[in-house]
Amino acid sequence: MQIAKTQQGGTLTIALDGRLDSLTSPQLESEIQGKLDGVAHLVMDLEKLAYISSAGLRVMLVAQKIMSKQGDLVLKKVGQEVREIFDVTGFSDILTIE
Amino acid sequence: MKINVHSLAFKQSVTVLVSISIVFALLFGIGGFQINEKLSQMLLQKGEEISRANVALINNLFSSGKSFGEELAVKVGTQNLSGKELDDFLLRSLSGVRATVPQVVTVVAAFEPGKAPGKVEGDYMRLAYYSKGESSIIEGGDYQEAPWYKSTKDSLKGRWQDPFAGQFIKEQIVIYTAPIFRTGEAEQKDFVGVLCVGISIANLKDAIASIPISSSGYAVVLSADNTIIAHPKNELTFKSNFASISRSASHKRLVEFENAVDQMKHGLFLGSSVDGEDAAIYFTAMESINWKFLIVWPAKTFMEEQRSVGHMFAFISLCGYIILFIIVLLMIRRISLPLRAIAAAADKIGHGEFSAEIPVVSGDDEISQLATAFEDMRHSLCNYFETEKSLDRVKRDLDFSRGLQLGLLPKDESEENTADNRHALAPLLLPAEDIGGDFYDFFKLDDDRLAIVIADVSGKGVPATLLMMVSRIVIRTLAAHLNSVSDIFNETNYELARRNKDNLFVSMWMGILNLKTGHVDYVSAGHRPPIIHHKDCSVEFIKCKPNLAMAVMEETKYTQESLTLAPGDTLFLYTDGIIEAENMDGEPFGKFELLKVLSECCENEPTEICKFVNEHLDRYVGHARQMDDIAMLAVRYDGDRSNNG
Repeated sequence: MQIAKTQQGGTLTIALDGRLDSLTSPQLESEIQGKLDGVAHLVMDLEKLAYISSAGLRVMLVAQKIMSKQGDLVLKKVGQEVREIFDVTGFSDILTIE
Repeated sequence: MKINVHSLAFKQSVTVLVSISIVFALLFGIGGFQINEKLSQMLLQKGEEISRANVALINNLFSSGKSFGEELAVKVGTQNLSGKELDDFLLRSLSGVRATVPQVVTVVAAFEPGKAPGKVEGDYMRLAYYSKGESSIIEGGDYQEAPWYKSTKDSLKGRWQDPFAGQFIKEQIVIYTAPIFRTGEAEQKDFVGVLCVGISIANLKDAIASIPISSSGYAVVLSADNTIIAHPKNELTFKSNFASISRSASHKRLVEFENAVDQMKHGLFLGSSVDGEDAAIYFTAMESINWKFLIVWPAKTFMEEQRSVGHMFAFISLCGYIILFIIVLLMIRRISLPLRAIAAAADKIGHGEFSAEIPVVSGDDEISQLATAFEDMRHSLCNYFETEKSLDRVKRDLDFSRGLQLGLLPKDESEENTADNRHALAPLLLPAEDIGGDFYDFFKLDDDRLAIVIADVSGKGVPATLLMMVSRIVIRTLAAHLNSVSDIFNETNYELARRNKDNLFVSMWMGILNLKTGHVDYVSAGHRPPIIHHKDCSVEFIKCKPNLAMAVMEETKYTQESLTLAPGDTLFLYTDGIIEAENMDGEPFGKFELLKVLSECCENEPTEICKFVNEHLDRYVGHARQMDDIAMLAVRYDGDRSNNG
């Protein structure tokens, strides 16, 4: 999975390309844990995210918990299948999805 | 240091030493040969040098003596002096000669009987003799038969006589005899007597004996017939003949010697000295007197020098050997010690002991390279096996977890004592390779109420399994004394969420089925909605409000819902693993496919339904790897016959 990070001031945009599952979640988690200092807005660009598993949901949860203390987390361009997973798991209610 | 005869050090050292021995032997041999040659040459040179001067001296001496003799003979023959005049003449001549040749000690005139000047009858011999600083005249006689007189008379020529101790001259002399002629009336030359000039040997002897010749050499003078005239051992002179006392000298050798002298006039001869020992002799033939001047180097002493050179050479060689041996050993130690250490370490490593370190080898050569490479390899192996060990441990943990997972979940109703005639139930668990956290559960709350649960713990590995176990226990415990599913979920969620440091979560669906009425109260916490399969094979998803999965937030409140099952309805619970199972092309099975499969299933028995779905899934997935746990639980409600009046 490819992770592309762009930062503009206090806004960090992370674009995901591929699958976010138990194999690739550690990769995303390492970009989040301890690396969000000074970030007020974390934007996840999920346009190219093909699939998310419970492991991926977990990383989102971690990001949500971190950002809820220092700003906000917004998920953008969520695909239909990924959206459904968010819905079924009830994560749609706790994540900000645009 | 123990010597191992097969060791590299030993073999190499021996090889080097043997090679050096051969070289030394060659050197020694050639060197020795060369030295011999050189020594011979040196002797030759020395012999020549020493001989030349001395021989020249002796030659001069005798030449002078000879010419003087001839001169005197003529004078005596012509002057015809007699009596006192003759005496005076002899004395004057003697002193005159002595002025230039002091070795002359006597002048002698001996006449034929009756031919002496002054008409003396019979023998007439007068000797002028210088001795002890004085010259005097001695009368001599009885000479007619003396060899010196006779030989001169016979040959009528002047010559040097062999040395002898004179009758009247009481010392060893060498005389030159010249015939005296008187011209007769008819102008003929008459032999009238012999004139002698005598040279003292004593001086000669002393002079020759004192010639310093190195290497214990000494000078010897031999007369024409090999009588020793001068020799360091004085006692030998005049008494011994060179040949006669040379014990080991055979006649042949002597002849060889004579021939050598005749032919070469001077040269080096290896024979034996008068003492009978082997010696190197440098000889020079003296022209004036037919004597031989020898310089003798006794082999023993002369060899001794050679030998001492040889000894020194051998000693140096030995030292050289020892030093070389030590150096070679040291050099090879540098090679073999590290090699031995490496071999020992390799042995240990072969037995699994990676702690065997080898000493650091300084330098930049092949040995230090090998040592470094070996050490690197050892480190790598060490790390690799450490990793393997931990991987092994992980695998063991996973196996253990799987064992737990499979062991804990009830396989059928008999285990849980939930079976009755109002329903049928069958689970199916297909764990993935990497152990996950899917579980199902079913238990009776009381005679008429059956709780059924299906859940999916996020993530894989031991933490997921542990959370699965904890969740199951908590649910069961809370279900024992809480009545509604929502209460159970609220409490369970709270308990799980507050200790959830790892941010795991559980999606769960729980329903309580009233076996009398078919009423089901249920809650879905982030779980896929179950499917109802009716008796007529129609299927549909249950409507579920998608509450948040459990253990995410402590304060989540769950909304309960309900439905009623008609007799013959089967509730099909499943986890995400089915929906997301991929085929070889990476396409997931999908919920609609599951629905379709169930609609095609006309089995009634829950076990058969599960089997049916599993087979279809197998066919769909093919050889692709199963990524996620798959759990199913099929419950068919048959209704309570006792109710139907």
